[in-house]
Amino acid sequence: MSDAPLLDVRGLGISFLIGGGSVHATQDVSFSVQPGERVGIVGESGCGKTITGLSLLGLLPRATTHVAGQAMFEGENLVGLPLSRMRHVRGRKISMIFQEPMSALDPVFTIGQQIGETILTHFKVDKKQARERAIEALASVGIPSPARVHDSYPHQLSGGMRQRAMIAIALVCEPKLLIADEPTTALDVTIQAQIIDLLMELSAKQGTALLFITHDLGVIAETCTRMITMYAGQVVEDAPVDSALVRPRHPYTSGLLRSLPRLSARGAVLPSIAGRVPTLRDMPTGCRFAERCAHRQEACAAPQVIEPAGGHLVRCWRHGELVLPGALTDREAAA
Amino acid sequence: MSAPIVSVADLRIHFPTQDRRETVKAVDGVSFDVMPGETFGIIGESGSGKSTLGRAVVCLLKPTEGQVKLGGIDPYSLPSAELRRRRRAFQIIFQDPNAALNPRMSVLDSIREPLDIIGEGSRAERARIAQEMLERVGLRPEFGLRYPHELSGGQKQRINIARVLTVRPSVIVCDEVVAALDVSIRADILNLFAELQREFGLTYLFITHDLGVVSHVSSRIAVMYLGKFMELGPAEEIAERPLHPYTQALLSAEPIPLPSSMRATRRIILQGEIPSPTNPPSGCRFRTRCPFAQAVCASEMPEWREAAPGRFVACHFAGEVTGHPIDANTTKEAIA
Repeated sequence: MSDAPLLDVRGLGISFLIGGGSVHATQDVSFSVQPGERVGIVGESGCGKTITGLSLLGLLPRATTHVAGQAMFEGENLVGLPLSRMRHVRGRKISMIFQEPMSALDPVFTIGQQIGETILTHFKVDKKQARERAIEALASVGIPSPARVHDSYPHQLSGGMRQRAMIAIALVCEPKLLIADEPTTALDVTIQAQIIDLLMELSAKQGTALLFITHDLGVIAETCTRMITMYAGQVVEDAPVDSALVRPRHPYTSGLLRSLPRLSARGAVLPSIAGRVPTLRDMPTGCRFAERCAHRQEACAAPQVIEPAGGHLVRCWRHGELVLPGALTDREAAA
Repeated sequence: MSAPIVSVADLRIHFPTQDRRETVKAVDGVSFDVMPGETFGIIGESGSGKSTLGRAVVCLLKPTEGQVKLGGIDPYSLPSAELRRRRRAFQIIFQDPNAALNPRMSVLDSIREPLDIIGEGSRAERARIAQEMLERVGLRPEFGLRYPHELSGGQKQRINIARVLTVRPSVIVCDEVVAALDVSIRADILNLFAELQREFGLTYLFITHDLGVVSHVSSRIAVMYLGKFMELGPAEEIAERPLHPYTQALLSAEPIPLPSSMRATRRIILQGEIPSPTNPPSGCRFRTRCPFAQAVCASEMPEWREAAPGRFVACHFAGEVTGHPIDANTTKEAIA
């Protein structure tokens, strides 16, 4: 691990102004990403993983959002960065790809125009050079006949090809960090395997760090080296992937892993996490997961701090005494 | 052995393209039987025709050729009043729980609607059954007065389940019913399906692209590709000893949440994408993406044969390619 992180997020708190008041969507989110590192953020819908990604690029509506804390990237605080500065970061230093490539691409411009826009914004090149570079980028993401696709519109491409085109746009300027928000969720499993392979290959080749936002623990296991679990707007665990899968320290991480069908005998009752994520309006002051936690005790009503435990960072005061099961079947765990 | 409750024989469902010059062969010659009380899983990628097949089973689509028999009877041979009465027993639940509920109807009204359409019993009686089903799927009585936008995805899917239960079906086609749900909610809903199956003796046709889900719930699994079945057999055998190269590729493409030291390294990455169903490849439909394809695969359509008791497969080399463990490197070279 090198000394200076590429991205260092400290105490990120995002709140939305709603009807005179405000609700806190995330609170005290801190994590860092080293150059070239692949970090996964997991959590269920509404845990704040997507808005954390969006806030890093200033993509949340400014008028109705308040972002507290800081996110240092190459000596610059991304939080509150003026739009004129942010334009030099977006696409050039940090790129983002989204779940649904059809809605992320503009339907009235060709793929080539959309890649060209990025190239022309960040580099001093003419249109002809931009075109060559765009075709090269399309070829590098494994698109057959890139020159033809360059002049195609998004609707003329399949879902997998659109996501490849998105990746080409995101990586054409060789950014230092790629934020990938559920990039394979809308794709079939065979296409997902192709896209994951491609992302891994490109990130290794260009030294791009990956911040992989997904709810799919399998995808995290195969792509990332570190896994951050978010719950109800907080980071509850931050650990090396392999260690988190074998011996998670937070009951929520363990619960997520245990609810996967592969761990239960066919037809057996699947373990699940009872209850629901608390709503933003009535967030408990103590542990946010307590209401759904099988290991709850009275002291859980006190606010929880995130602290180191066996190489992890864990937001649970009982981390020392609880021995929680991970993603292994009993047989695998015994072996 | 009892008689099959759903019997599909050489089913073909073709649609004209928008300009009517070509034909989309969404389902192109599929045969299988579903026995009462079993969960029959159908797995495949988008565009494989699995949803079309599911809709045909509940008479939402009329076969172009071939036959679907429900409880031993061809529904299209019946007079329309009789068809209406009979098809009650065959229900379907869809993927998107939002789209399936009317946003302007309260939950209880939505659940009662199927009974109102059937017109059985008094109004009070129907309301009582709706209330009972609401509670049976694990929702508190006060949910009945709410509207869909006040509910989470999992709760909405519970309501869709309650709706179909009101008419006491014997078969439910579950078309990607948990795809839109979070992992922990997904487990709850799958558990509910299993409970209801035991309690009401239901038969399920479980259509999904999720291997983990399909192998957990199903007794038998069919693997579909481009309008045809590639393989069919008992769930655990398909999951552990797949015979067809497509099934093998599907299984190996599934990302598994295990530490790197415990993951199998072999992985078959299929090149390209599913071809267009308007003009499927000659011979074996999978051959354009198959790492083992030979000349014969292009010239001859592989026969749908019983490779072992209860295990059907359509591949010229089914026994042989599985005889040897696949080495990731040689496979990748073979494709490249």
